[in-house]
Amino acid sequence: MIKLDPSFMGKVIKPGRYTGNELNIVRKDPATTLASFALAFPDVYDVGMSNLGLKILYHILNQMSDVAAERVYAPWVDMELVMRQEGIPLYTLENMRPLAEFDVVGFTLQYELSYTNILNMLDLADIPLLASQRSAQHSLVIAGGPCAFNAEPLADFVDFFVLGDGEETIKDVAHAVIEWKRSGKAGGKAEILARVAAIEGVYVPAFYDPIYHADGRMAAVTANHPAAKTPVNKRIVRDLDGAEYPNKPVVPYLDVIHDRVMLELFRGCTRGCRFCQAGVIYRPVRERQPQTLLKLAQELVDNTGYDEISLTSLSSADYSCLNNLVESLIERFKNQGVSVSLPSLRVDSFSIKLAQEVQKVRKSGLTFAPEAGTQRLRDVINKGVTEKNLEEAVGAAFQAGWSTVKLYFMIGLPTETDDDVRGIADIAYKVLDLYKTIKGRRGAKVTVSVSSFVPKPHTAFQWYAQNDMVEIERKQQLLRSLLRDRNISFNWHDVKVSFLEGVFARGDRRLGKVLLSAWQQGAKFDGWSEHFRFDVWQEAFRQSGIDPAFYALRDREHNEVLPWDHLSSGVDKEFLLQEYRAALAGGLTVDCRRGMCGDCGVCSGLGVEVIDWGEGRNDKVTTGDY
Amino acid sequence: MTKLRLEITKGEEIRYISHLDYARTMERALRRSKMPVAYSEGFNPHMKMSFASALSVGVTSEAEYMEVELSKPVSAEKVFAALAHQLPPTIAIKRVKEVVGKQKALMAMVNLAVYKIVMPWHGDQMEYVAKDAVSRFNRTETVLYVKENPKGNREIDIKKYIAEAVEVVVGPKGAELSMVVWITPQGSVKPSEVLKVLVEDFAFPGSFEAALIKRSGLYVQIDHERLSPMEM
Repeated sequence: MIKLDPSFMGKVIKPGRYTGNELNIVRKDPATTLASFALAFPDVYDVGMSNLGLKILYHILNQMSDVAAERVYAPWVDMELVMRQEGIPLYTLENMRPLAEFDVVGFTLQYELSYTNILNMLDLADIPLLASQRSAQHSLVIAGGPCAFNAEPLADFVDFFVLGDGEETIKDVAHAVIEWKRSGKAGGKAEILARVAAIEGVYVPAFYDPIYHADGRMAAVTANHPAAKTPVNKRIVRDLDGAEYPNKPVVPYLDVIHDRVMLELFRGCTRGCRFCQAGVIYRPVRERQPQTLLKLAQELVDNTGYDEISLTSLSSADYSCLNNLVESLIERFKNQGVSVSLPSLRVDSFSIKLAQEVQKVRKSGLTFAPEAGTQRLRDVINKGVTEKNLEEAVGAAFQAGWSTVKLYFMIGLPTETDDDVRGIADIAYKVLDLYKTIKGRRGAKVTVSVSSFVPKPHTAFQWYAQNDMVEIERKQQLLRSLLRDRNISFNWHDVKVSFLEGVFARGDRRLGKVLLSAWQQGAKFDGWSEHFRFDVWQEAFRQSGIDPAFYALRDREHNEVLPWDHLSSGVDKEFLLQEYRAALAGGLTVDCRRGMCGDCGVCSGLGVEVIDWGEGRNDKVTTGDY
Repeated sequence: MTKLRLEITKGEEIRYISHLDYARTMERALRRSKMPVAYSEGFNPHMKMSFASALSVGVTSEAEYMEVELSKPVSAEKVFAALAHQLPPTIAIKRVKEVVGKQKALMAMVNLAVYKIVMPWHGDQMEYVAKDAVSRFNRTETVLYVKENPKGNREIDIKKYIAEAVEVVVGPKGAELSMVVWITPQGSVKPSEVLKVLVEDFAFPGSFEAALIKRSGLYVQIDHERLSPMEM
């Protein structure tokens, strides 16, 4: 057990990040369990404690009597320094146990720029970084989460990946590990990898060999092991309503990013925004029943004492029974000092009514995401929002008393022209004018937040060449010159960060050596501007003889083998290509949740169906509802 | 309206959480207890609760005091039982009493804090050097110390806040110091600051960062009578 001494704990900021003992932690005696999992989030505690996926896995694993799951987060740089000086290996918060003692160390992959932290955490744990250097005596290093859908840049470091919903897969993995250990780890590491490879949703990269053309493009990924499936399909929970949900989550002492009850209304979103990876990999929509949610909400409040329930989902406003649910929640919890919040709003007046209802008290700003500045470009990305929708939504917000509006956009989208970029500024000014028209005076504050579009694998735009840094900077400059009003504030993203994100998002296995080299030269916490060092990355690419532009800035052929083709979200590549073509033609695709089925391949291919408890869902109306 | 006063602790395991985190933890425990806690009116209702004195990060306590208002009368015994059941193992509840009649706010009432500090063993000479340092500190009339603050540094005379001579006993674990400190409307001094001065200016043996500090009591001292807030 790791002991922390006050002589150095007094020197680090927020030492409570490293001392555990929170409410509702599950602490099991390692001697009484057959398999142990360290659930790792490759960023600081404050960020990692907000992740719902890990809460779910923690709950499910700890429900198993012979399995223990504990938590670990990336120590901030000050604590890392202390740990290295004092010779303290990375440890979990439940039993202060060194990571290397665990059977499985599982990382969640939420963001490409957290990859160096994974290497750093393994190093701090004294676990060999390369999967090939680890034997049956070492921990198995596994990973899941959205970025696992292009696992290749991490293939050198991770023994196996878990694709899709983890609720069922993680249990299968636990059972496989227990059996393997019972057999005295017979057959060594090769045996456990073969066993897990048979589990639906598990990808063992060592069982596949990438083959490249002379020009560097991928020729094929071939299986080299009888247990290797091609493709590896994601795992999916068919009955989300009946799935286990963490009703007694760990409650942090520290003020973490999302410090409230997280109530997941549904999984999946089929609005079909063509830039959105989550909209593909979590398909199809599966809702929980309102009565299930009410019951969970009460249990969660009783077990945590939180004062806020956040209705989390990819697009919570689309929940079929939202009105009733919100009313019931407010009614039930108003006397318990608990409020209800919606993290995302749809751009329509319905959402404003809802926002009014849930935020009776707070007049903090409202956020909308038109994503693009012109109708033409919004049609390209299939963002079903019109100028009129926005006008109505913002107008309703102003009438209801809000005066601060935040607008999210992207630049660098396919087919974008400078007119589309100027359109962003036009919208910002229209919003200011609208306030003046409604209120008869100036006084609105508009924040325009513009991120740079990064094409993601498994989306309709996976073939598209990302705008280069010069072009994005030019567009940012253009917007800066247009957004000069003192009531408009303009935020944009560092182009270098978006470029690197783009490289790793669509990278292949050859990026492993770049990652290793960058980490060796000190790269870590790349998602934090104060730690991001582009020069280190440039040097790492140079030393590895790899041109990052090859991954991010190249238009890919439609028939090109993509590094993630053997990893399947269930959505057909042909469907994505059809969507890409529709995008270029400005054609819209309706939401299959209540509209016509677009035949993306998920339901038929994976034997699942859309579950939506709203009335009329099964009528399969042929027009969209937006 | 019922107002209750609670005597609670801050355990070793949560030594490193801040006062704000500690207060939030109590707020959540109260909500879990389902006691009818009163909320403020207005845009952002908050639980009506207050603390006697904020505790620094790194300091444990055997005597924290807080008051909470209830919207309906509930007996102190009932609140004690409900809350004891909902507190994390790192916080213990010792006593609860109803505040009868009009009393000053806890924060204005409490004016004295007692701290116990354990300085880890630091060599064979520890006892002699430690006692010498403490006795010189006790004999010195004015001990200036610069309080560092982001808004600007401020020089204070530590001795103005020292209510009684600092005591030291050296045992097998190291030196155990007792410190009694005034809490005044104009401010106070932290035990860690006194310790820093003892080490840096009076050659007290050891590293002040390694010390374990515990607040063992918070009192209301009126003339020569020292009462716990639970006796008020």
